[in-house]
Amino acid sequence: MKNKQKIPGPFKSLLSGRFAVIAIPYVWLLSFFLLPFIFVLKISLAEPIMAIPPYTALLNWGDSWLPSIQASLDSYLFLFSDSLYIKAYLSSLKIAIISTILTLIIGYSIAYSVARAPSRWRGILLMLVILPFWTSFLIRVYAWIGILKTEGLLNLALMTIGLIDKPLIIMNTDLAVYIGIVYSYLPFMILPLYANLEKMDMSLLEAAADLGCRPFKTFWTVTVPLSLPGILAGCFLVFIPVMGEFVIPDLLGGSETLMIGKVLWTEFFYNRDWPVASAVAIILLALLVVPIMLYQRSQEKAIS
Amino acid sequence: MSETLTASPWLDSSEKPYIQIENVTKKFGDFTAIDNLKLDIYKNEFFSLLGPSGCGKTTLLRMLAGFEKITDGRILLDGEDISEIPPHLRPINMMFQSYALFPHMTVEKNIAFGLKQDNLPESEIKQRVEEMLELVELTDFAKRKPNQLSGGQSQRVALARSLAKRPKLLLLDEPLGALDKRLREQTQFELMDIQEKLEVTFVIVTHDQEEAMTVSSRIGVMDSGNLVQVATPTEIYEAPINKDVADFIGDVNILQGVYKGQNEVGTQLQSEDSNSIVFATQEVDASPGDKMWFAIRPEKLEISKKKPSDDHNILRGKIEDIAYGGSFSTYHVRLQNGRILKAIRANRERTEEHHLTWEDEVYLQWAPHSAVVLLS
Amino acid sequence: MKKFGNFNIAALVIGFSFLYIPIILLILFSFNESRLVTVWGGFSTKWYGELMQNQGIKDAAWVTIKVAFVSSTVATILGTIAGLVMTRFGNFRGRTLFSGMIYAPMVMPEVIIGLSTLLMFVALAVDRGVFTVTLAHITFSMCYVAVVIQSRMSSYDDSITEAALDLGCTPFRTFILITLPIILPAVISGWLLSFTLSLDDLVIASFTSGPGSTTLPMKIYSMVRLGVTPEINAVSTILVGLVTLGVISASIIGRRQKQNIIKV
Repeated sequence: MKNKQKIPGPFKSLLSGRFAVIAIPYVWLLSFFLLPFIFVLKISLAEPIMAIPPYTALLNWGDSWLPSIQASLDSYLFLFSDSLYIKAYLSSLKIAIISTILTLIIGYSIAYSVARAPSRWRGILLMLVILPFWTSFLIRVYAWIGILKTEGLLNLALMTIGLIDKPLIIMNTDLAVYIGIVYSYLPFMILPLYANLEKMDMSLLEAAADLGCRPFKTFWTVTVPLSLPGILAGCFLVFIPVMGEFVIPDLLGGSETLMIGKVLWTEFFYNRDWPVASAVAIILLALLVVPIMLYQRSQEKAIS
Repeated sequence: MSETLTASPWLDSSEKPYIQIENVTKKFGDFTAIDNLKLDIYKNEFFSLLGPSGCGKTTLLRMLAGFEKITDGRILLDGEDISEIPPHLRPINMMFQSYALFPHMTVEKNIAFGLKQDNLPESEIKQRVEEMLELVELTDFAKRKPNQLSGGQSQRVALARSLAKRPKLLLLDEPLGALDKRLREQTQFELMDIQEKLEVTFVIVTHDQEEAMTVSSRIGVMDSGNLVQVATPTEIYEAPINKDVADFIGDVNILQGVYKGQNEVGTQLQSEDSNSIVFATQEVDASPGDKMWFAIRPEKLEISKKKPSDDHNILRGKIEDIAYGGSFSTYHVRLQNGRILKAIRANRERTEEHHLTWEDEVYLQWAPHSAVVLLS
Repeated sequence: MKKFGNFNIAALVIGFSFLYIPIILLILFSFNESRLVTVWGGFSTKWYGELMQNQGIKDAAWVTIKVAFVSSTVATILGTIAGLVMTRFGNFRGRTLFSGMIYAPMVMPEVIIGLSTLLMFVALAVDRGVFTVTLAHITFSMCYVAVVIQSRMSSYDDSITEAALDLGCTPFRTFILITLPIILPAVISGWLLSFTLSLDDLVIASFTSGPGSTTLPMKIYSMVRLGVTPEINAVSTILVGLVTLGVISASIIGRRQKQNIIKV
């Protein structure tokens, strides 16, 4: 980079073209993805009022030359004074961790089996995994309501075959939320795992077997460690969005199912308390920054 | 070939070089890929850049094509400084190692691609594409897509495409690397024929020393970003400039020792491998006591069970290994001090009379003019 | 170990049953004569007929298709450029931030994206409507396109681009004549992916839409909150059918592309 001053003419035009090409998507993402967070931060420091928009201005241009800053930490203090919010964060964390583990176990079995399937089947099996990934989240969650509700298809089926006499109460419980999350996020877990397992050199397993390693031990000492990048990517893809999940707890969960995404939605749409909703978002974001950066690192490593 | 060309323009000081690489340096960050390199290449040469991987030969080629910017120095083509010209404006074409055929275009369209960029009239493009297809004998494959071609055919399409614009200079990056041995040897000769027929200057990068020896007018041996020796194939083989070149090109036996002086036979070496002093005809500028090496090619070492009548340059040893190569055999002979030398003997007799076998005690001898004296 | 054993078969059968039974039941009951979701009252397409009478759903569907079409097209252009920047522009200043902005929207909870985008529009006094939903959709869709292009480019032979430059083609023409046709299947699947992402989105649209820009998922959501009805099943079935068609055609395009790669 020391020879910057020596860029010859034709290259200079190439370089400025290069700059423009980088700038187009860069500026877009800066203005529509990153910049909005500044506004969230700003409004989280404002106070709610009955107005449109329903928050106070941060900078007050009175008569003086300099605007007076009216930042208020009230929203944040409120979050910590009302145990509801802390409970919601903790409950989201618990639900995210448990459902990530469940999704990993189920997703790994499926991804592993697809990767080991005869190659002529693999394409079609993979497409069967991808198909739900493209299908509307909302519709897939909705599909479970008809199955899980008290007079739903699951209870009907179980009672018909005589396994139970009284309908099970699953709908509007945490169990329904877990089922919904595992179901909805399964493809996000399977795809990176499959991509990783499919590339794995089979001769490594043969080498392990040749050296006297039993199949089960080979799985734990060779296959699993080698698929770690896929496991990480899959877990990030499930854990991070589930932390802020709204649709699933809203439609399948009950009144006692506390998740922070739902709290944010309620504060915003029902209570119209924009500053508190913003503060909820800022704290959630702060909790997720590290996992998101780890996810980015793992993806960049996978590409290069 | 036109008669006006001298056979060896590099020996003629009045001849003007066609490509002048003047003190070119290329750095990637802190890593110096090419270090102040100077090289002249003459018109209609078939010049090979030869060296181990990572020696900078590909970087040099890519700088000629314009894909790498020069950190320092300049490159002239036919007297014109091209250092600042971007690749698409250089009158230079390249044949890529991966062939880089456009997968979505037919053979014909691939070859026509460069001509279309020059906005040549349709009829001329058509005629030149046909010419090229004929040259590489692929007329019947004009409508095929690259994925319907064999490796050898793809290679010829790549060659035709890069020659279609009649470039002043053609760069070839490991052009035969992806072909199997038999096809590679055949293609080497085709390349030479085409080069002579079209009178284009070729610069080729290869790591295959046999290939470089076969096709080149001159070879530039590179190592860590520098040219170690630039010479004809024969010179490189018979008169390498140092141990590394001698070792890189072909097989060689190196005898290490100390310079003892000059006598009527030639240069005298006190070698660790021999009890008596050994000789080479070549004279050197050194003083007694200097470290020195004799390089002797295996085929120049006579191997026999009988003691030679002449008692110069004799080493004794025992045959430890024999590599039978059909027309010749390579013998690994362990000397008394434990070192192993290689000797090659043509298998001229079918009888057992001259038969050498494992554990045979043998004599190795070379003519004084067969050894190359190396000072480094 | 290497063999495809009983465990694998069981995992696939149970796994795919889990993935597909809910959708299959949903489709099945859209053809149910009865309004009750659990009682099969015979085959009927009457709910589809009722759907056609529902002006609210038709309006929402039209808004959704407009938004999806425009946002996926713009997102494909921006995302393709971004994917090329990530793979072919080496290290430039701010690259880490750039790749962060590509990857983060893919995992970031939608409520955060929706809220932040909305708050910016409000603060800048931009009227909410189809336009704002489209902008928000472009932003997260382009990241998915960028990743699709990025993974395609990782198997793209750079010397093909260099060969075109070497033969006298300008950088821009090289992109149009060589690079774009070769990566076109990836660009198309990026477009299809953006289209369905936009089609499916509930949360971000809920935040960024305004009066008169209710999208289909928003409409479905408000219907779902009132209970399970065969009408929702019918509209869901149509959406699932469209997406299935899209995925299958994308995979056929993708397979053809893969075959080309293998042979080249």
